[in-house]
Amino acid sequence: MSKYIPTIGIEVHVELKTNTKIFSNSVNGYGQMANSLTNVIDLGYPGTLPTLNEEVINLGIKAATVLNCKIRREMNFDRKNYFYPDNPKNFQITQNATPIGYDGYVEIDDNGEKKKIYIEEMHIEEDTCKSTHRADKTLLDFNRAGVPLIEIVTKPCISTPEEAKLYLEKLKELLFYTDVSDCKMEEGSMRADANISLRKSESDPLGTKVEIKNIGSISNVKLSLEKEMARQEEMLDKGEEFKEQTRRFDSKLNDTVLMRVKETGNDYRYFPEPDIPTVIITDEMINSVKKTIPMLPDERREKYLELGLSEINAKKIVQNRSLSDYFNCLLDSNINHQTGANLLLGDISEYLNKHEKSITDTTLTKERFIELVNKITDKTISSKNLKDILSKVMEETSSIEEIIKSSNISNITDTSKIEEVIDNIISANPESVSDYKNGHDRAIKFLMGQVMKETHGGVNPAIAMSILKDKLDK
Amino acid sequence: MRYLDKPIKEINDLLKEKKIKPIDLVNEAFDSIEKNKNLNAYITLNKEEAIKRAKELEDVDADNILFGLPIAVKDNMMTEGLRTTAASGILKDFVPIYDAAVVEKIKEANMIIVGKTNMDEFAMGSSSRTSYFGAPKNPWNNDKISGGSSGGSATTVASGDVLFALGSDTGGSIRQPSSYCGLVGMKPTYGTVSRWGLIAFASSLDQIGPMTKNVYNNALILNLISGHDSRDLTSSKKEKEDYTRLIGKDISGMKVAVPNYFMSDIVSDEVKEKIEDTLKILEKAGVQIDRVDMKYLDNAVNLYQIIAMGEASSNLARFDGIRYGSSVDDTTNIYELYTKTRAKYFGEEVKRRIMVGSYLLSGENAKIYYNKALSIRDDIKKEFDRIFKEYDFVIGPTTVTTAYNLDDPMDDPSKSFMDDVLVIPVNMAGLPGLNIPVGLSKEKMPIGMHIIGNRFEEAKMYQLASFLEKEINFEGGM
Repeated sequence: MSKYIPTIGIEVHVELKTNTKIFSNSVNGYGQMANSLTNVIDLGYPGTLPTLNEEVINLGIKAATVLNCKIRREMNFDRKNYFYPDNPKNFQITQNATPIGYDGYVEIDDNGEKKKIYIEEMHIEEDTCKSTHRADKTLLDFNRAGVPLIEIVTKPCISTPEEAKLYLEKLKELLFYTDVSDCKMEEGSMRADANISLRKSESDPLGTKVEIKNIGSISNVKLSLEKEMARQEEMLDKGEEFKEQTRRFDSKLNDTVLMRVKETGNDYRYFPEPDIPTVIITDEMINSVKKTIPMLPDERREKYLELGLSEINAKKIVQNRSLSDYFNCLLDSNINHQTGANLLLGDISEYLNKHEKSITDTTLTKERFIELVNKITDKTISSKNLKDILSKVMEETSSIEEIIKSSNISNITDTSKIEEVIDNIISANPESVSDYKNGHDRAIKFLMGQVMKETHGGVNPAIAMSILKDKLDK
Repeated sequence: MRYLDKPIKEINDLLKEKKIKPIDLVNEAFDSIEKNKNLNAYITLNKEEAIKRAKELEDVDADNILFGLPIAVKDNMMTEGLRTTAASGILKDFVPIYDAAVVEKIKEANMIIVGKTNMDEFAMGSSSRTSYFGAPKNPWNNDKISGGSSGGSATTVASGDVLFALGSDTGGSIRQPSSYCGLVGMKPTYGTVSRWGLIAFASSLDQIGPMTKNVYNNALILNLISGHDSRDLTSSKKEKEDYTRLIGKDISGMKVAVPNYFMSDIVSDEVKEKIEDTLKILEKAGVQIDRVDMKYLDNAVNLYQIIAMGEASSNLARFDGIRYGSSVDDTTNIYELYTKTRAKYFGEEVKRRIMVGSYLLSGENAKIYYNKALSIRDDIKKEFDRIFKEYDFVIGPTTVTTAYNLDDPMDDPSKSFMDDVLVIPVNMAGLPGLNIPVGLSKEKMPIGMHIIGNRFEEAKMYQLASFLEKEINFEGGM
C-alpha cells in the first residue's frame, strides 16, 4: 500500500454524433479527404457567422440527463481567445460561464462496491482542426473544425487509477448507448485528460497537480496514472519538488513524458459570444429528449440477471448494443432466456462476426429466434445441428421447423432410428461394451463417438447418450 | 440632365419602356466616378463586371423599382470575385468566395454594383482617415473629411456618382458621414439587416444600412436589404414590411423628446441653432417637442469603447496570415508569423483598439469592464424604453460640429469617439437612427438632424424625415 493518497480528476471530450457541425451545415464525418468537409464558416472566413445546430443542444440535454446533471435553462456560448493554427478564428466557441450541465454524477461498481464519481460540469464546444506535422511544415485539415464536442469534467474525487478506468468505461457505455457519441478513442471521438496529485494524508492540502493529456485508450488512462503515481512517489520520497506540468503518455515508452511546465495562468479572455443569442432550454425540450433515451446499461444488466443470466453473460450482452437491443425485445417472451443468451453470445455472435453483420441485418426475426430457442430447449436440435443449419437460420426466411425438416435433422430425433444405430454399434464393438461393464468410463465415450460418426454428427447427443446408457446398463 | 438625376420612378418607367438601358445608367455612374476620382471614394471599381451585367440585363424585364440601378457597397461586405479589403493592408488582395446577404439581395434585384467604397480600416474611425488606401474627401469641400467609417459611401452618393450606397454602422458610421455629407443615412434596428458577409467589427453593435440623397430612395433600399436570414442568429424574425408606406403622411400629433444632453455645450452653437430652427418647423406642423433629461447618455461613449474594442480584439484575431489575407514569409515559427503579419499589415488605430480590447478582456478585467458595460448597456436600453412609452422619437443633432479638415491632427485617439458621442447611444440600445440633412453652416457644410425611433419603427422615422425633406428642400440646396 502506497503511503500517498492520489487525487484524480478526469476531463473527457466526446464528439457528438450529429449529421452536421455545430455552427455550420458542413457534414460531421471522419476519415474523408482532407478539407473536403468544410465551408467558409469552418475556415473562419471574414464575414461568416455561426448558426446553432439544434441536434447539439438535444444531445447536450441527453448527456446531461444520463450523467445526472442539472440542466442550465438559460445558457450562453462564450469565446475562448487564443492563437493557434488549429483554431481557425483564433477563438473557440465554448461555454465558460453557463455550461449546459452541472452537478452530476456517474455511479461505478468497483468490485461490488458502488461509488459516485461527481461531475463538476459539462459544456458544449467546437472541435479544432487537425494538424499533421511533416518535417518543417504543418498541414491543417479543417474537416474536424467545428465538430460538436461536449467536455465532461469530474470533481477531483477519483481515488485510484482503477476508479478512473471504471468511470471512463461507464461514461463511454452511457454516451454510446444514448447515441450521444460513438466514443471511439482510436478515432479521437472520445479523448481523455487526467489530472493527478499526491498527498500523504486527507488532511493535507492537495499536492502539485500534473495533467496527462490526450490519452489514447481507457486502459492507458489507468496505466498512465499508475506510472505517474510511481514517478511522483519516487520524487516525493526523495524530497524533490516539481512544478505543475502537462505530460503525455507514451505507450511505447510505457511512461508519461513531460510536454510543458505550466506557465502562470492562461488568459483566455472569455466573453459571451455576441453572435449567438441566449439559448433557452424549456421543459418541453427536456421532456422530448428524455423520451428518446433508451433503457440504460445498468438497468439492462439488472433485468438480465433477474431472468437468470450469468453475470458474465449479462455483461457481455450489454457490451454489444445491437445484441442487447435485440435481446430486449425478447424480455417478455416465454423462452429460456439463458439458452437465448448463450445462443446469441455463442454461435450467433460467431456468425455475425464472421460475416461482419449486425443481427438486424439477418433474417432472424424475433419470432424465428423464439422458435429456435425453443427447439434447442426441447432438444429438437443439438448444438451440432445448429451449426449445420445456422446459415439457413440467419439468411432464409422459412420457419425453423421447415429448416429442420429440409435439413434431414428431424429423422435423427426419431428415437427408433437412433436405437437402430446404437444397436448396430453395440453389436459391432463387443470389446468396448465389456470394457464399459468392467467400469472403464472411457469406453462409453468411444461408443458415443461411433454413434456420432455413423450419424455424421446429426444426432442429438443428449438423447443418444441416454439411449446408449440405457442399452449398456440393461 | 442625366438620367440618374431624375426621380427614381421616372428612371424606372424609362427602363420599363426600354427608352433607356441599364448600361446608360452604368455609363453615367462611371463617368461621374471618373470625374470625381480625386475624392478617393472607392477602393475597388467593378467597371468591367458592371458593364457586362448591365448588358445582360438588356434582355430582362424591369420587374422592380431598383432594377438596373447602380449602387456602391462599402468595402467591408463580401462580394464574390470582387476584392474586399475592409480598407486594411491585411486584406489588400483578398478576393472573397461568397457574397454577403445584402449583396445577394442587390444581385437578385438586378441592381448593379459599381464598386467597393473607401472606409476606415475595419470601420474603426470616424473620418475614414485610417484607410490603408488614403482618406476619401468631402464633395462639399474637398479639404474636409467625409466622415467615417462609411466615408467613401457618403462621398460617392453626395457627389452624385450613384443614387445609393450601403454603409455599416457600429457607433455612428452611417449617420455621421451622412451628416457631414448632407445625406439621408439610416442605421436600422439591430437585427433588421443580416450581417452575414459583413466583416465583423463589434458584432453586437454592427448593422448595415442605406445612404441616399432622399428619404424615399433610402426606404426602398431598406425594403430590399431587410428581412430574416437564418445564417445570422441575431437577425430579427419580424415579417417584411414596406418602409415607404408612411412617407408623406401627416405628422401632426407626434411627440418628440429632445434630451438636454444632446443640446448641451458639447454641441457647437451653429449646429444647435439649425436644430432649434428645425424643431420649430416640426412644432409648427403640430408635433409636440419636449425637453427631457435622460440618464446614461453621457456614459455611452465609454461603454461603447469597452464593448466595441473587446469584441473587435476577438473578431480580428482570425487575420493571422495562415488561411487568407496578407502574410509575411520570412518567419521561422508560427508566433513570428502571427506577430510579424499583424504588426506589418494592421494600421495603427486597429492595433491600438486590438490592444485595448485585449486588455479589457484580460483576466479579471472582463468582469470589471466588459460584463459591467453589458449591464449598463441594458440600463441605456431601459432608459430609451421609458422615453418611448411617451414619445414617438428622440431627436438631436447627429454630430457636434460640421465636417472638419482632413489635415486636422489625428494624435488624440479619443477624439474620434467624441465625434460620435451623439450617435453611439443608439447602437448601445440597438435602436434605429436616421440622419436627415436640415441645412448648411456658414461654411456651406451640411448639418444633420438625428432622428431616433423605437425598435422597428423605421417606417415612422421615414415619415417624419420625409416631412422635413419637403419643408427644407435640402437636396435643391447643393
